Amino acid sequence: MKKRTAVFASWLLWLWLAAVIVGAFEYAPLAAKFIGQSSRILFFHVPMAWAAFTAFITAGVYSVRYLFGGRSQGSPRDPRHDRAARAAIELGLLFGVLATVTGAVWSRIMWGAYWNWDPRQTSIVMALIFNGAYLALRDAVEDAEKRARLAAAYAALGLVVTPFFFFVVPRITFSLHPEPVINARGRVEMDPRMLQVLLASGAGFMALFFWLHDLRKRVLAVADRALEAAAAGAPTHAADPVSTSPRTVSQ
Amino acid sequence: MSRPASTWVREAAAVFAKEWRSEIRTRYALNTLALFAVNTLVVVSASLGPLGAAPGRSSETLPVLLWLILLFAAAAGLPRSFVHEEETQTATALRLAATPSALFCGKLAYALTLLAALEALVAPLFLAVMNLDVARPGLLVATLAAGGFGLAAGSTLVAAIIAQARGKGTLFAVLSFPVLLPLLLLAVELTRGAFAGGGAPGQGGFQGGLGGAGVALIQLLLYDGAVTTAGLMLFPVVWNP
Repeated sequence: MKKRTAVFASWLLWLWLAAVIVGAFEYAPLAAKFIGQSSRILFFHVPMAWAAFTAFITAGVYSVRYLFGGRSQGSPRDPRHDRAARAAIELGLLFGVLATVTGAVWSRIMWGAYWNWDPRQTSIVMALIFNGAYLALRDAVEDAEKRARLAAAYAALGLVVTPFFFFVVPRITFSLHPEPVINARGRVEMDPRMLQVLLASGAGFMALFFWLHDLRKRVLAVADRALEAAAAGAPTHAADPVSTSPRTVSQ
Repeated sequence: MSRPASTWVREAAAVFAKEWRSEIRTRYALNTLALFAVNTLVVVSASLGPLGAAPGRSSETLPVLLWLILLFAAAAGLPRSFVHEEETQTATALRLAATPSALFCGKLAYALTLLAALEALVAPLFLAVMNLDVARPGLLVATLAAGGFGLAAGSTLVAAIIAQARGKGTLFAVLSFPVLLPLLLLAVELTRGAFAGGGAPGQGGFQGGLGGAGVALIQLLLYDGAVTTAGLMLFPVVWNP
């Protein structure tokens, strides 16, 4: 029953995002002062950036929970939190790259250059480098418990440092970036139909992120369990590579 | 912490003394930091030519070079203090002997003194070689102090993380630069203000004169406080299995 609900929800998400694509090209009007059709990229670029940001926060929160939060049997820390943080970092990298590329394409059309160190470009590049460094750190530690602990500490440090970018970066470089959806005057200055599509897309991408996050967490959990089973039930010499190899079990 | 504060201070002081004793015996970090910094300074200065950078741009570009020299010199020498413990397998003895937070503070104090020495060497040399006039020397000293503190605090925690991983040298650079970037941006901005006086033209910073510099300095100190606090909280979980 639960499985059927999940399948139904994923189909609903598929339809929702398909409707967003149609809405972005057919329903929403073009924004003023934008060259050609370029404003339509907004409906995908902005939600991707939101998803990347959400992924970053999710990873930080789960890392702090891993270090200082719940316990599970036999271990002082809960490996589920570690898997959740790692999955979020991976997805943050994916959505971050997508947001950067779509932004650069749009920037080429509007500002004449793919890249100009706009504050938001700087911030997202720092987030991407941070996510990359996190994954590099994980690859450099063999012991699973130590890997989780060090990576979580690094992500927590990142969570502490990131707010400073919001102070510093906008002051150093002049921004050409369009105003955020909710601007400094606290008003939404956007065509209502554009706003509807943007918010629908934002909700869709958020659901997509959490759905992918759940899938990735489960894949990582299966891989961990296979490794544990291989370690526990492995014969003294690897006589049967098929049954002891964790890769064949997890796939 | 169940132990009295005096024990904690004694532990931190003992770690600090131990670091310097082993440093004076090997002079590894001192040599690395000083030689690396002087070499980079020579390379930078020689490439810019006898006149330094073009007069109009020098106060904008030179602070960047100064902080890059400091950053890379720190990356070359600071990770050693933890990597060495793991390599010689003295880390376990240290885990038994000292409270993690006292150990962190001892190592941080060592990194601070090392960086202060480095800055005392590099900054005057840099100013002399580049023919720079400092409009606000007090601001420059404050920036070097606050920037050096943040550099030491961030590096100490990242060093403790990478010491337990493989590929330590490259990994330190990869992990520390995203963490240290806000510090670097703030320090460069403040150093620009110190060189140029009133405002850094065309950069949008310090239009308000001293007020702008004050805000940036406060943010730099906040960064220092945030990273040190994070270090004190995270170090015990990084250090103890």
